[in-house]
Amino acid sequence: MGRFGLLPLLVLPAVAVNLLTFLWPMLNLAGLSFREGMPGGGIGTDFTMATWRDLLADEFYLEILLRSVGVSLTITGFALLAGYPLAFFVHRSDARWRNLLVVACISPLLISAVVRTYGWLVILGDRGFAPSLLRGIGIDPPRLVFNMTGVIIGLVEILMPYMILSLLAGFGKLNQTLEEAAASLGAPPLTVFWRIVLPLTLPGILLGCLLTFVLTISSFITPKLLGGGRVLLLATEIYDNAIVTLNWPLAAALSLIALGVFGAAMVVYGRIARAAERAIA
Amino acid sequence: MAAEAAPPHLELHGLEKRFGATRAVQALSLSVGKGELIGLLGPSGCGKTTTLRMIGGLMPATDGRIIVAGRDVTALPPHRRDMGIVFQNYALFPHMDVAQNLSFGLEMRKIPADERQQRVQRALAMVRLEAFAARKPRELSGGQQQRVALARALVIEPSILLLDEPLSNLDANLREEMRNEIRDIQQRLGITAVFVTHDQAEALAICDRIAVMRAGVLEQLGTPFEIYERPANEFVAGFVGRVNRAAGHRGADGRLLLGDVVLQGTGHAGAGPVTIMIRPHRIRLTDTPPEGIGWNSATGTVTRRTFVGDLLSIEVALGPASLLVEQHTFAGAVVAGPGDAVRLAWRAEDTLVFPASPAGVFPAPPAGVFPA
Ligand SMILES: Nc1ncnc2c1ncn2[C@@H]1O[C@H](COP(=O)(O)OP(=O)(O)O)[C@@H](O)[C@H]1O
Ligand SMILES: [Mg+2]
Repeated sequence: MGRFGLLPLLVLPAVAVNLLTFLWPMLNLAGLSFREGMPGGGIGTDFTMATWRDLLADEFYLEILLRSVGVSLTITGFALLAGYPLAFFVHRSDARWRNLLVVACISPLLISAVVRTYGWLVILGDRGFAPSLLRGIGIDPPRLVFNMTGVIIGLVEILMPYMILSLLAGFGKLNQTLEEAAASLGAPPLTVFWRIVLPLTLPGILLGCLLTFVLTISSFITPKLLGGGRVLLLATEIYDNAIVTLNWPLAAALSLIALGVFGAAMVVYGRIARAAERAIA
Repeated sequence: MAAEAAPPHLELHGLEKRFGATRAVQALSLSVGKGELIGLLGPSGCGKTTTLRMIGGLMPATDGRIIVAGRDVTALPPHRRDMGIVFQNYALFPHMDVAQNLSFGLEMRKIPADERQQRVQRALAMVRLEAFAARKPRELSGGQQQRVALARALVIEPSILLLDEPLSNLDANLREEMRNEIRDIQQRLGITAVFVTHDQAEALAICDRIAVMRAGVLEQLGTPFEIYERPANEFVAGFVGRVNRAAGHRGADGRLLLGDVVLQGTGHAGAGPVTIMIRPHRIRLTDTPPEGIGWNSATGTVTRRTFVGDLLSIEVALGPASLLVEQHTFAGAVVAGPGDAVRLAWRAEDTLVFPASPAGVFPAPPAGVFPA
């Protein structure tokens, strides 16, 4: 048993659950992508490379992949920009208010993303609150729903709680005395931010970005509804093939590609986080 | 002392800080000479840190002015005050190594890289940490971190050095070594410094002058000698050093009485109830008390004797009062034990007389000796 004794036994339940609910379906999915798809959702029994060959040859899917990554990065960036000041404010507030504010920040999670998406449809729709507000101040409103703009607005709001929680978790290293020390050494506020606050909060930033990115890539309801079927992404394409056109092998192959994107995101995150850890801790 | 004669480098005029109804610092006026090391001494919560933070610009003053070298800096933000601050918890930047920590302030001053490096090297040499330039703060001991913090505040050659209880996180031996090191460096550089501490021994040991504070109010400003030998009031006498405290009375004829013993004292001369304070080590046990003017003597009974190695402390009942007497021990000394009658003698100038404080105003221990 070595120096850990019976400790490894503690992870057994988690390993078992993961084998059963993640690895096994994934292997099935991989197998599925090498079968022939029949009209009406049927699945052939013979091994075939046809799905992968078509997929890799079709530029449409490359386009979708790149668009998905691009949109996810954009949404992650906006969520960070919007979430950072908020998280900073919450972190700095009086202990009395902090818990309340944290709860307020994550309370949107109590409402399902579907409901919130419909909420955004109402707010952003042609006769909704946002366009009338813009008209009120004399701006001819651009279309805010059934396009990329709507998808970005909706997902940024829906995923921001995760970003804020990650940021708050990473703000632990922050200490106001450090900022005061920097100021006393002659650093104006903006320099204090760049040289002290930002480096010390980098781990939280990286974690929040990873989480938001992965969640964006895998969301399909919000892009479908707010995109009005016009914003084609990896996740929506998987959904369409699995549920609408019933091309299961293609859906399976696209899912594996999505998994590959997650893997790549993890690797990139790991690299940056380790480099940051070395530089900071 | 010499420092007092120097032109004021730092002046506080009616400095005041209120937190809601709390007056953390009240109408504080002080003037610190160039190159002087001034101590802010007082019990926890008396407003020392608040005062220091206002001087450093980390906290706005509610009222009053702060003048440095004739220039009003009250409204300046901290990054434009040119003050080096050493924080109680050091506040070293955890993501920078020692050299980068030191270099930070120089970068802010746009010092060219090669000069920066030289000055960092010199500062590291000053605190004897040349070998640690590439270490991260967490790889240093408390004393080393303390020295880095000091070097970081000094490398920018600030006009004033502010230290907030810089030694309180160190263990006793290191504390004494570091306080002398701070004093040496401060004198060598001739830098004006404000040193906050609640440790009276620390303040007495290294400060040119000490400002004793209580509850936001400056109680006394003076040299360590003045503070210790001529405390302005009961609080200062009790806070700085150990002291016996006994209730006495001064008659209309000027006679000072402790119980029925007539004493000569110094200080408050008004008639009425008084508090008499005598430091334990200034009282002698002797069979042949010195006679005449300038000396007090009395006979009492030993109630307790405690041997603490280098000191022998003997409690003596003297009428209604109980006096603690401290004697340095030496081999072969014959000393009285409990129940023995002894004669005590001490100087008139060591008999500090203050008006008796109204009950409740002065939170004093019930009787006997103040804790040091
Ligand atoms: N930010 C603050 N808000 C409210 N009260 C404070 C604050 N800072 C200090 N005080 C109060 O001011 C008084 C002086 O505090 P401080 O200057 O820290 O004392 P010291 O450093 O002498 O121990 C204390 O009563 C403290 O509770
Ligand atoms: Mg303090």
